[in-house]
Amino acid sequence: MFGRLQHLRLLRCLPAVQIPTQPFPPIAVPPNSFSVAPPAAALQRIFCPRLFSLYKLRRRRPSERVPFCSRSTQTNEAAARAYLSVRIRCRKRDADMLSESLLCFGASSTSMDELSDSHDLDEIWITCIFAVNQDVHTCISHAIGSIGLNYGPNYEVSVGEECDWVKGVQETFHPVEVTAGLWIVPKWREPPDLQATNIFLDPGMAFGTGEHPTTKLCLMLLRKLLHGGEQFLDYGTGSGILGIAAVKMGAASSIGIDIDPQAVISARQNIALNDMDSSKMLVYLVGSEADSSCPGAETNMGPEERTLLNLELKSAKGKFDIIIANILLNPLSELAKDIVSYGKPGANIGLSGILSEQVQQIKEIYSQYLDDISASEMEGWACLHGIRKENLTFPIYRSKDKIMKKDMGFLPD
Amino acid sequence: MATLKDVVVRRPIAATIRLTVPAGGARPAPPVGPALGQYRLNLMAFCKDFNARTQKYKPDTPMAVTITAYKDNTFEFIVKSPSVTWFLKNAAGVESGSGRPGHVVASSITVRHVYEIAKIKQADPSCKHLSVEAICKSIMGTARSMGIQIVKDL
Repeated sequence: MFGRLQHLRLLRCLPAVQIPTQPFPPIAVPPNSFSVAPPAAALQRIFCPRLFSLYKLRRRRPSERVPFCSRSTQTNEAAARAYLSVRIRCRKRDADMLSESLLCFGASSTSMDELSDSHDLDEIWITCIFAVNQDVHTCISHAIGSIGLNYGPNYEVSVGEECDWVKGVQETFHPVEVTAGLWIVPKWREPPDLQATNIFLDPGMAFGTGEHPTTKLCLMLLRKLLHGGEQFLDYGTGSGILGIAAVKMGAASSIGIDIDPQAVISARQNIALNDMDSSKMLVYLVGSEADSSCPGAETNMGPEERTLLNLELKSAKGKFDIIIANILLNPLSELAKDIVSYGKPGANIGLSGILSEQVQQIKEIYSQYLDDISASEMEGWACLHGIRKENLTFPIYRSKDKIMKKDMGFLPD
Repeated sequence: MATLKDVVVRRPIAATIRLTVPAGGARPAPPVGPALGQYRLNLMAFCKDFNARTQKYKPDTPMAVTITAYKDNTFEFIVKSPSVTWFLKNAAGVESGSGRPGHVVASSITVRHVYEIAKIKQADPSCKHLSVEAICKSIMGTARSMGIQIVKDL
């Protein structure tokens, strides 16, 4: 494996164009949540004098990137986020076939710049992305062989890292006005209207940047339902945007839960960003049914802590006034009972993240739990709203021998 | 969703991106991240849209996606059903085709499998104009090239 990496480094030394994927941003990247290893040790190694032994230890990062990315490359996590980017030059008429065959032979993705731009030349560039540990040369030679190309195209390999493209995408975010008086502002921009309710977000790796129609639909629903002092549950919180918005619009407190540790980190960061009291909004990482041990090293939660939180959550069942779940069709269908069980009788429940054609399916599943189901739609996406029925019985949790039923209606236990 | 043919005349295209993403599992991480990030497309919107549209497939089925990125940082995409080779490998229960197709048989599947695969493929935009029979023939050809035998009954 090391031999192959050295090979790549040699390629880079050749007089070939070094492909910068993004112009480096003028702001320094803050020590972000993606790095797991202690940054001090990482920086120490980076500034170490150039030793050949370092080549063998791990891939050496190009020195010009050091001030901008303070991530360490030591852990498997970081290595998993790096990628190999290959630029291949080939004739226009072969480009289509070549990109298809590269995909078959192991490229993660291929992209072709539009043909009409390069009308002068007969050749165009294809950019392919490979996973870090793949044998690029074998893959390319197989691809060339399979389509019968009679010339060997020139290509250059470079190593790309996560910060290259993340920053570029983040620059495209602008403040967006969801409804009158409610703005969602990315962390690095100024709010256009200081009087309005502004929610500051770091639109990072978790879902919920505020621009998607489902987020807008949910926020509009929240605005309609909130009168002040409610308990809100954000089921599938992502970046925490709905929970934060609820507190800012008058809810007493909100709780956000998610199965993705990245989302929990992102939500906690956004809560701090909005200067919110952490007691106003709590975020929990819950395990999905499939895996009881989540890959949640970043949240620093041991299994005992997680069990404690799950018990707290269980005791919170039946306490929430408003619940909104903005996820996807399949989770919504499977977790119907779980979602509804968190609400008190007569609670408002909102469901989104579904396409307009999927509304009927969700309506059928939820009609046994909710009354007055109504749907609002925007740009092909839909949001359903219903009122939790009174007198629903749920098995709350099972002990080994029996299922304990808790009556959520008027009768005592 | 508008087809590529409608929009290609209207907006200037920046690039065409081809990807393989597991159904319902699009995340803003490689492979999606770098591929779309370099054209400054809205990753979250793509992930959410893609996941919502592939809910009806079994999770983690590798779907081929072709994204057309426009110069104004918007995009359209088409989701295609998984490749025939993937279906055949699944149906036959093998990890890869045979090393010497024609000489060494990797596994075998029934004609019923072929028919089922053809029905799924018929929904694909590129195969719409073909009859089921024609699609079956092409699937059998692919199977032959992988060293997978087709039998009447297993």
